[in-house]
Amino acid sequence: MNFADLIQIVWENLRAHRMRAVLTTIGIAIGIAGVIAVVAVGQGGQAVIISEIEKMGSSLYFDISPDYMRGETADSNTFSIEDPTIIKELSPAVDKMAPITLGPMVDVRLPNSDQKTIMASLYGTNPDLIHIMNLSLEKGRFITDLDVTSHSRVVVIDAGLAEDLFPKDDPLGKKIFVQDTPLTVVGVLEKIPSSMMDTFNVRTLYSPITQVQDMLNTRVINQLCGTAVSEEALPQAISDSIKILESRHSSVSKHYVGTTLEEQLEMVGKVTSILTTVIGAVAGIALLVGGVGVMNIMLVAVTERTREIGLLKALGARRRDIMQQFLGEAVALCLLGGFFGMVVGIGGAFAIALAAHWPPLISVWTVLLAMGFSVVIGIFFGLYPASRAASLSPAEALRHL
Amino acid sequence: MIRVSGLTKVYGSGDAAVHALRGVDLEIPEGDFVAIMGPSGSGKSTFLSILGCLERPSSGEYYLDGRDVNSLEDDELADLRNKKLGFVFQSFNLLPRHNVLRNVEMPLIYAGVPGDERRKRAQELLEQVGLGHRLTHKPAELSGGEQQRVAIARALANNPLVIFADEPTGNLDTKASLEIMEIFQQMHRTGRTIVMVTHEPDIAAYARRVIHFRDGKIVREEAKDELR
Repeated sequence: MNFADLIQIVWENLRAHRMRAVLTTIGIAIGIAGVIAVVAVGQGGQAVIISEIEKMGSSLYFDISPDYMRGETADSNTFSIEDPTIIKELSPAVDKMAPITLGPMVDVRLPNSDQKTIMASLYGTNPDLIHIMNLSLEKGRFITDLDVTSHSRVVVIDAGLAEDLFPKDDPLGKKIFVQDTPLTVVGVLEKIPSSMMDTFNVRTLYSPITQVQDMLNTRVINQLCGTAVSEEALPQAISDSIKILESRHSSVSKHYVGTTLEEQLEMVGKVTSILTTVIGAVAGIALLVGGVGVMNIMLVAVTERTREIGLLKALGARRRDIMQQFLGEAVALCLLGGFFGMVVGIGGAFAIALAAHWPPLISVWTVLLAMGFSVVIGIFFGLYPASRAASLSPAEALRHL
Repeated sequence: MIRVSGLTKVYGSGDAAVHALRGVDLEIPEGDFVAIMGPSGSGKSTFLSILGCLERPSSGEYYLDGRDVNSLEDDELADLRNKKLGFVFQSFNLLPRHNVLRNVEMPLIYAGVPGDERRKRAQELLEQVGLGHRLTHKPAELSGGEQQRVAIARALANNPLVIFADEPTGNLDTKASLEIMEIFQQMHRTGRTIVMVTHEPDIAAYARRVIHFRDGKIVREEAKDELR
């Protein structure tokens, strides 16, 4: 029997029990839909996070934080504003270094405006940050050393914020209110294409660290970030930085940890793979249940059609022909379920993505893998019923009522 | 062309053993039309299904078209049934989910006949039995007589040497029975070998030879001239 004939015969057989076929495929459909939706959303998320981290800097990037894993947090004694300068002087491995005081959610608005305020993240830092984070200016200038020493009330805004606040005008030289402190815009960053910050509508401002500390009334520096002179020097840069910090802040006996970009990427990978495994297991159970449903319906079909199988054998069907026909039906059911599942899964992924402002990532491989897996399930759960049908004795099968 | 000797068939074993055939010897030359009669349980249907290679005898020899059937593998038997034998059953045994044309095509599909040639051949056969206008009907949409004619067309698909018929008119009224037997007679006239089980003397009368079974053995044989 050739493939085209097989498909036609399988189709004619399944068509006779439409309702049964559709109900049988639901289990498979749910499993496949789940896998596709989760993988699509997960891969989309992972891609966004990774691209975001990669944007943050080159492979030379590292940052130093208090050891959060030990429950330590930054306080006013953890870092000092002078630390970066001293570390750069003492360690030949460190190229650039910037302190960061973070105002995670600040209100931004125009003066004399009823326009509603915009939420943004405020980075208090020094001139090095523009190099460390690979930022580039569209116009104006970044923070200068003079700004830092003189507590200048200046601010650099990102492209999103520039669009929000000054859709028509040139923002340079304009005043904006950040937490009711008037700051002068001195620079605008270039728009980063398809940034996660953009997707989530997260806006960012950069201002001299001294000024930000005054504004937020704090002396806390959350972390130091920097770049090494070369990739080989990265471990040296981190260990030097930590050593210097420990000697300078010995009174508080803090523990510092250094993280590289690679480690951050690894962490994302680890979290994603754990999630994928858990969800994969759940979807696997759904597929298993679906597969058992297919097996059950195929066993029913073999019993119902015993006499017919006897007849096919009388007409000259070999063992292989009967096997093919019943396996074909099982695989067709699973593929049908896989197809429904794919449609629902892709729809679901887009729906979730739309709600979460998250680009869904549906690769051809995801789809092919899901369909391939459907076929494997069909073969696995169809094999037993099919071989039972194929091994019936023709005379006995024909006597069956 | 068909030669069996010492054919026995035992179902089950020990005390529960049923001896369906207790030593049957028979020769059927090419072109013969044989009717097998006998009370139910006499072994006539078992004999037919052994001749049709649907089951194997417990002992005895069976030569079909010069080949030792007992020595053949299951797939070789399937091939033999496909190319050399045709079957007609009391309950028609058409495939209910496929249309008439597909039913007749099935043996051709197993024989590996390509699509166009297969459809042409099936169509011709259906026209021969007077059903050229019912190709796309499902079996359930046909009368009993029509269904049996589809079954005959299917049995003839691969131009077999022998047609085995098990009570072919058992489920039909008199008029349809006569039509079916008319077709059998035509097949006989064109030289086809036919072996038919029946319990109706009227139907057996169409055959050239009538063989009577009782308790798993042949007890009597009549040639056509004696019947008339």
